[in-house]
Amino acid sequence: MKRTPEEKLLNPRPGSKIADARDFGIDLTLTVSQLRLTPQQRIDNLQSGMRFHAELEKARKIGPLGKRGKG
Amino acid sequence: MIDLEKAITSLAGHDVDYVVVGGVAISLHSSGYITQDLDFCYSRSKENIRRLYHALSPFSPMPRNWPQDLPFIFDESTLRNGTNFTFDTSIGAIDLLGEVKGIGDYVDALANSVVYTIFGCEVRAFDLDALIVSKTAANRPKDHLVLPELLALKEALDPNEE
Repeated sequence: MKRTPEEKLLNPRPGSKIADARDFGIDLTLTVSQLRLTPQQRIDNLQSGMRFHAELEKARKIGPLGKRGKG
Repeated sequence: MIDLEKAITSLAGHDVDYVVVGGVAISLHSSGYITQDLDFCYSRSKENIRRLYHALSPFSPMPRNWPQDLPFIFDESTLRNGTNFTFDTSIGAIDLLGEVKGIGDYVDALANSVVYTIFGCEVRAFDLDALIVSKTAANRPKDHLVLPELLALKEALDPNEE
């Protein structure tokens, strides 16, 4: 019986491109989560990720506050 | 960071002929990759360049890293006189590509695209094969980071693979 895309991604056949991606360090459980979403939900996730990345970049520019923080 | 809703709805509202080709297309295909900009291949027809100008001009595009003391005018002539542009706009970074390495121009991009509906608009984006070909041809370090997941998705979604 043919396996579903999810089954293939979560249990890759040895020597497959999916196994290569897993060994490269791609978290394929996240790929599976994305596959379950609608295109709009994927884009909403992307936009959220962009916002988070922008916040991280702001924090990086400000630098650490020190062990005790602002106060 | 690009405001995708504003960009996509403006392009759709002006009937611009374009195909999303970069990180946003990769996300549409279920990758967790996060980009910061919108890259698209556009038709270089005179009429489309007019529509593209009207779609983007509200966002005051400026070439990325353009010297502050140098004037820049964004108009139809600017778009006609170039092919590929990297713009910073009031809604984020937008890259316009007249041609995509490994694929070709807009007609080729269109032939290698699929349609998604986002923000209530029909949006064409590179299919998985075109993304793999273009990322392989671009051959930059950041392309090598996304290729393994794209190849995995292609294999997972291929009904002929076990």
